[in-house]
Amino acid sequence: MPTKREIVRAVLEGQKPPYIPWSCGFTHQARAKLSAYFAPVELEDALQNHLLKLGSDIGFFTDLKDNLVQDVFGVVWDRSLDKDIGNVVGCVLAEATLAHYAFPDPIDQRYFADIPERVAKYGDRFRVFQIGFSLYERAWTLRGMQNLFMDFYDHPGFVQELLNTIADYNIAKVKEAMKYDIDAVYFGDDWGGQRGLQMGPKIWHGFIYPVLVRMYRAVHEGGKYVFIHSCGDVDELFDDLVHIGVNCFNPFQPEVMDVTSLFRKYRGRLCFHGGLSTQKTLPYGTIEEVRAESQRLLEMGQKGSYIFAPAHDVQGDVPLGNMLGFLEFVQSQPGYRNV
Amino acid sequence: MSLLGDVRQNVIDGDMNRTQELVKRALAEAMPPEQILKDGLISAMAEVGRRFECGEFYVPEMLISARAMKSGLALLRPYLIAANVQAVGKVVIGTVQGDLHDIGKNLVCMMLEGAGFEVVDLGVDVSAEHYVSAVKEHQPELVACSALITTTMPRMDSVIQSLREAGLRDRVKVMIGGAPVTDKYAQSIGADGYAPDAASAATLAKALIGESGR
Repeated sequence: MPTKREIVRAVLEGQKPPYIPWSCGFTHQARAKLSAYFAPVELEDALQNHLLKLGSDIGFFTDLKDNLVQDVFGVVWDRSLDKDIGNVVGCVLAEATLAHYAFPDPIDQRYFADIPERVAKYGDRFRVFQIGFSLYERAWTLRGMQNLFMDFYDHPGFVQELLNTIADYNIAKVKEAMKYDIDAVYFGDDWGGQRGLQMGPKIWHGFIYPVLVRMYRAVHEGGKYVFIHSCGDVDELFDDLVHIGVNCFNPFQPEVMDVTSLFRKYRGRLCFHGGLSTQKTLPYGTIEEVRAESQRLLEMGQKGSYIFAPAHDVQGDVPLGNMLGFLEFVQSQPGYRNV
Repeated sequence: MSLLGDVRQNVIDGDMNRTQELVKRALAEAMPPEQILKDGLISAMAEVGRRFECGEFYVPEMLISARAMKSGLALLRPYLIAANVQAVGKVVIGTVQGDLHDIGKNLVCMMLEGAGFEVVDLGVDVSAEHYVSAVKEHQPELVACSALITTTMPRMDSVIQSLREAGLRDRVKVMIGGAPVTDKYAQSIGADGYAPDAASAATLAKALIGESGR
């Protein structure tokens, strides 16, 4: 029986797996529903995910009270409504300059300290070191989204400096993470909107693409795979992403891209992680509809290049039955046995 | 190119300083402020909206154009008031309760202003009661609601219900938008219209005003 790690490696290489691996994420509220259902079994054990997420996707925070937290970059987040990430309050880089700003320590040991213990506990899983808000999103959280959009035109030199400094920070972190027995680096950076790129292709290619080349090269030089999570309608970038060495794309949102035809076009060159509708089927569909969509995705991925998941961390408005609907479905695949 | 053609082009190009210079020159030449507004600024933002809808412009281009438009409008405003030039309509807009996302809503505000609307921006996390009190206070023709996530989208229904309960529903048109929102959802809650993006929101607002407005 191959391990989960071997199964994921096989699908990343475009090989036909004995069953479709999965790795499903849930928001705070959704996790609470599932944890209560599975207790006393720990949720991480109950989910039987194939990816072992290491590091921290959104980083570490200092509690400022009154639902405000501050990340290691100094950005304050309001979590009064969105309990998982929050919304940025204020603007750390009020002016278009880095002259008065110092980046945090990229090898802060909090990102690495639990890696040995977690690898020991879930050693059969495929190990991904996560770097969330990895470029454009880090830039806009520091500078403010509207400011950054206008900086592309008003202060292009500053934007290039900011993005390259963020990349230097990430590359230092990647090099530290690769001292451990990891398999991949999972970058997160939302470039898309519901229709096309937020910043448009010209700006993406001019500002973001060259910096991605540097970051992804650092991962490949260490012999690891590159995963990228980027929400929204970004499939116009797939050829570029394949060209610069992305191995797996997430979230593969069916509301904004034709999942089946894109999968057919890129299978063997790009693996996909995600695909199950979180804007429609999961919150509003029946259990049967959730199962039917899951079935279609599993059939699609039979030959490899696919890791099943909802196309985003499942939100708290999704009925428990729908969450269990897809979890039980993937876990009951012929050929799968939890070890 | 004519002076107003230059104003229009510089708004489209997002050149705020040049737009201001040209608006000042147009005013100095005693050009009617309403003409500067319509043939310079509004005409430019209509073109910005067209380019956004067809994928030539994205949010950054729209923002710098809107900034140029607003800078010109700020110079024009005292002259428009003095000439008693009315906005094409008034919109009360906000992101619904439980939702703090504002970029999409801000873009809609900019495009509505660019289309000649007076915009009352209630901000984010706006309760149904706040919408109702704002409608009573500002007497708009339109109410616009934004939501980015599925968990907050049902609050749009609450806004419509509250307007109905307050006896205000027939006095305003309600338009909605945001990533998870669909035309089908708009119909299901009895909204008057749905717009998938900021540019089409301005087009929709004008169409709705055409049915009911000033």
